[in-house]
Amino acid sequence: MAATAGTLKIEGKGEKQDSQWLVIARRFMRHKLAVISLVLILLIFVASLLAPVITTFPRDAVDISAPTRPGPPGIAGSDGRLHLLGIDNLGRDLFTRLLYAARVSLSIAFSVVLLSETIGVIIGAIAGYYKGWVDTLISRVIEFMLTIPLLPILLILSAIMINTDANLPLPDFVIKGLSAVLLAPEREANQVFVLVMIIVIFGWLGAARLMRGMVLSLSEQDFVESLKALGASDARIILRHLIPNGIAPILVNASLSLGGVIILEASLSFLGLGVQDPTPTWGNMLNASQSYMFQHPWLPLIPGIPLVIVALGFNFIGDGLRDALDPRLKK
Amino acid sequence: MTNYLIRRVIQMIFVILLSAGATFFLFNIAPGGPLSGLQQQQQQLTREDIARIKAQFELDLYLPVRFSRWLIGFPSGPITVGGQELFADIPVGCYLVREEQTTDRNGNTVTRPTGCDDYVYLSEIPELHPAVRSSKGILRGDFGLSTVVRPGRPVLDELLSRLNATLELLVTATLLSLLIGVPIGIYSAVHQYSRFDYFFTTLAFIGSSMPVFFFALLLILVFSVMPVFLQDTMPWIPRLPSGLREAMRGYSIAEWLPRVEAGSLWDRLLHLAMPLMVLTFFNMAGWSRFVRTSMLEVLRQDYVRTARAKGLRENLVIYKHTLRNALIPFVTILVLTIPGIFSGAIITETVFAWPGMGRLYFDALSRSDWPIALAFIFITAVLTVFALLLGDILYTVVDPRIKYK
Repeated sequence: MAATAGTLKIEGKGEKQDSQWLVIARRFMRHKLAVISLVLILLIFVASLLAPVITTFPRDAVDISAPTRPGPPGIAGSDGRLHLLGIDNLGRDLFTRLLYAARVSLSIAFSVVLLSETIGVIIGAIAGYYKGWVDTLISRVIEFMLTIPLLPILLILSAIMINTDANLPLPDFVIKGLSAVLLAPEREANQVFVLVMIIVIFGWLGAARLMRGMVLSLSEQDFVESLKALGASDARIILRHLIPNGIAPILVNASLSLGGVIILEASLSFLGLGVQDPTPTWGNMLNASQSYMFQHPWLPLIPGIPLVIVALGFNFIGDGLRDALDPRLKK
Repeated sequence: MTNYLIRRVIQMIFVILLSAGATFFLFNIAPGGPLSGLQQQQQQLTREDIARIKAQFELDLYLPVRFSRWLIGFPSGPITVGGQELFADIPVGCYLVREEQTTDRNGNTVTRPTGCDDYVYLSEIPELHPAVRSSKGILRGDFGLSTVVRPGRPVLDELLSRLNATLELLVTATLLSLLIGVPIGIYSAVHQYSRFDYFFTTLAFIGSSMPVFFFALLLILVFSVMPVFLQDTMPWIPRLPSGLREAMRGYSIAEWLPRVEAGSLWDRLLHLAMPLMVLTFFNMAGWSRFVRTSMLEVLRQDYVRTARAKGLRENLVIYKHTLRNALIPFVTILVLTIPGIFSGAIITETVFAWPGMGRLYFDALSRSDWPIALAFIFITAVLTVFALLLGDILYTVVDPRIKYK
């Protein structure tokens, strides 16, 4: 919210502060695919939040004496209970695992994007504001990291880190909190967190470059000059004025990278170098389905369809946000 | 220009060294590593056993020494100058680590290294590491020996043996995507907002949000699994092989088609089909989009309007004045496919069990064969840096307006 508030106060254009956001919301609503995507993603999000209410099966409950394993959608388990989307090769309820997987995949995507956009925004703003050697150093580091091929290096990092039960020097509440969000044991939460950190290492580059560009052009403007004359500290100028004013493209970037991170996490987990079974994610469910798809062709579709919907959806939302926040950016 | 090139090459060397160093230290600082398998049986092994095993992997040497040996194969023993051995008694590692058991604040017993009982001296390197004495370091083209995937085989041989398969797949895919993607981009731009344009814009959008592996699985479902399920009702649908590069023995893809002999051209083509479709789809989606945007930008330029106002034929306007300018930024993208062509496509090759570089890298990672993984990363980094330089040079060739100082 601070974004437009800052602009408006300084430039003295707006009469009412919230009207700007109404305009943006109205423009966003015009992008039909973005709105549909938003609704679908919200549905999946709420369903994953309510996972323990919606489904009565425990996440890892194995039905050894099920009639067939894997079993087709609508199959009845050995205790006569209906499995909405069938069971996997171990006899676990796929609908249940799908919901919990949504929890894991969405948590990873949101934490990665939140962390990397924050880091990127701050680093980018510092580079753009101080210019000189600070900017040169940061820009060189970013350029260097951008030349590193992403997938191979992420695969290496997770191959090294994922199975070592590495204990990160973190305050307790991080892992405890994550394990509460995922409804998973702390060991699994730790693994998820390691994966988040690995993706964040290379995730902040885009946001930093965007923010640097925005701040470079913003800091040439008169209001920064007047802020300096008024005696505002650098930190205040950056945090209260420059970042809020340059946040629009960051929001678009964040939405697009949510889709990207979902795909990246799924790819790593699919290759077996991301989140490991029994923690379900769409990626490792697809991996598990691969060996059975010749007899049970519906198996890969069950985690695959929500995965594509969410990834595509975040891209549409990003597209809609771009049109809504800055019509000039419209392609 | 010459000055610029010299500066770039120096920068390049620096970047290559930096990335080599970063990956090397990553592997060595990380928990696990070559000894991770030993951790469980550590109780049964004596200190001497562990020291011997560590020496096999050169883990007894200090990190900077190990890095220098990995990079350039130096030092491989005492330095001989004029028949005299110099620095022979400089310690370069620790063979037997002195350890002390302490209890940390959580009450766990922790083993901490406190010193060294038996140093490795420069003169002892050949004696303690007979197998690696000949190592010349990766900068001199010696990538060491594979540890798990093909134990004892030189990494370089293993990489080269996979190069053919990767080149076959990636070169075809790149050419095909160019042949399809560029014309689509041009047509979309010239006929902006037409039905054709909307169709391919949507397709490109889907391409950007579709995970590669899921698309690959979908293709397998459609071309390999579905025909089997429809065998009774529609036996004429041909079925594509879904993995490897060629079959072990002959097979038939549909009753009405002749039998395919293993290793024949048809066999190879059928195996190539699906991975090729995956790579082409994603490349094409991205590239057609890029060409379209770049074409649209040039079409808005004044000189295009002038050309049209002068009554130039539309074909000439598009192909001579617009396209040639629009393809200039495309050079960078094209050049950056070079590292990919050699390093393969990790996900696609893995899903289709294509025996290429990407698949090898994946195998090496999942089975902790660090020498292969390191070599792969290093070669990819070098190729990327070279490609970037090549791109900048080509830029001045295709667009003489650009000058580097």
